[in-house]
Amino acid sequence: MIALAVFRVAAYVRSHRVYQALLGILAALAILYAARAPAGKEADVLAGSAALIVPFLAWAARSLLDTEPDRQREMSAVLVGGRGRELAAGLLAALTACVAFAGLALLWGVLLGMSAAPDGPVLAAGVALHGLSTLTGLTLGALTSRALLPSPAVSIMALVAGFLAMLIISVSPLYWLTVPITAWMSAANAGQLVARLPELGAVSLVWIAIGLTCYAWLRRTRP
Amino acid sequence: MILTKVAFRYRRRDRSVIREIDAQLSPGDVVELSGVNGAGKSTLLRLLAGLLRPTSGTITGRPAIVGLAPDRFPAEQPFTVAAYLDHLARVCGGRWRPWAERLNMEHLLGVRLPELSKGSAHKVGLAQALMADPGLLLLDEPFAGLDTGTRGELPPIVAELSARGTIVVVSDHQGGLRDLPSLRHWTLTNGRLTETGDAAEAGEVAVEVIVPVGEVGGFLERVRAEGYQARLMSTEESR
Repeated sequence: MIALAVFRVAAYVRSHRVYQALLGILAALAILYAARAPAGKEADVLAGSAALIVPFLAWAARSLLDTEPDRQREMSAVLVGGRGRELAAGLLAALTACVAFAGLALLWGVLLGMSAAPDGPVLAAGVALHGLSTLTGLTLGALTSRALLPSPAVSIMALVAGFLAMLIISVSPLYWLTVPITAWMSAANAGQLVARLPELGAVSLVWIAIGLTCYAWLRRTRP
Repeated sequence: MILTKVAFRYRRRDRSVIREIDAQLSPGDVVELSGVNGAGKSTLLRLLAGLLRPTSGTITGRPAIVGLAPDRFPAEQPFTVAAYLDHLARVCGGRWRPWAERLNMEHLLGVRLPELSKGSAHKVGLAQALMADPGLLLLDEPFAGLDTGTRGELPPIVAELSARGTIVVVSDHQGGLRDLPSLRHWTLTNGRLTETGDAAEAGEVAVEVIVPVGEVGGFLERVRAEGYQARLMSTEESR
């Protein structure tokens, strides 16, 4: 399974698709961190970064999963010993790409986006939020990948609409009905990020788990 | 490997592509699968490979290692032939270089996959299917586009694998394995599988004729009068 994940990451890099999401993230981070945030705003910066990169991470995950031709995906599943292992290898490969991009965003924010270094709990919360955004991007990308949505137009619209839905719903009191991306930022802005992280993290993880379960369930009939 | 009442349809309201297939495959069996375009041959191969689950029925006893060579190799991938096969060898723990030699593709190893001709790409598909020493080998139109030398090499390869206990199922329109002595013949017609002996020995094939409703009775009478077996297919069969 690891070898298949490596094969898929190699295809993603060698096909140059990796630059699509990378350039997008670099442009977004350059705008976000055009000026260093004043001291005391470290949590805002980290929460904003985690929220901002979600669509780019979803794009990266979708793009990586779509690099492999459909027929090759079937051949890979046969070679690796089953569709379950192929599915897991694809998700592992996409997770690897998302972790790399999220790590880049986190490093940029900490090193170049703030006037003062964040204290330990805030930094830990920022790392956790970037972990959640990584998993959120992975899930959204997987759910909009070609195996489930063969039309590129429908797929990209579903990805953008999914992110917008998360943003809009998580502004409302019903923020727990989705991954509460906006609530991450609101909590940081109110100075409650560390205190509310367990609650917001739990809600996020539940929706991520539901999304990945749906992906695995739908892939049963879409090899 | 046993197929019991295997049926498959792609969507709930679709007609069945595969209908109530019962079959048994023993180690060393070589099966030539034939049928008109759209008869369900590729679907049956994907069911045998475990890529699709039967809508009803069961497939049991599938060998642990399966090799699948598709009818069209997906060449739109950013690797050279050698890099591609190296990656897949790490995935399945197989060895591809002996097969590259036998399939006359050593001169292709540094070529990028998208630059391969159809026949050369087909060889890469065969090499990846063979490299893991499969217990079940599924070949979809393996002779399509191959050069004469490689076409001649393929039947001995299949015979060797069969002698080692590999089950080989080949979807083939070109009869490339007809000289193999123990070849079994499966024919798919409207999703139904029939097994015949050697086609040349049996001297019989099933044909499908579409007749206007009002002429069915007379047509069947005429055909039967000429000594042929003929029957009216049910609505379900003919869909």
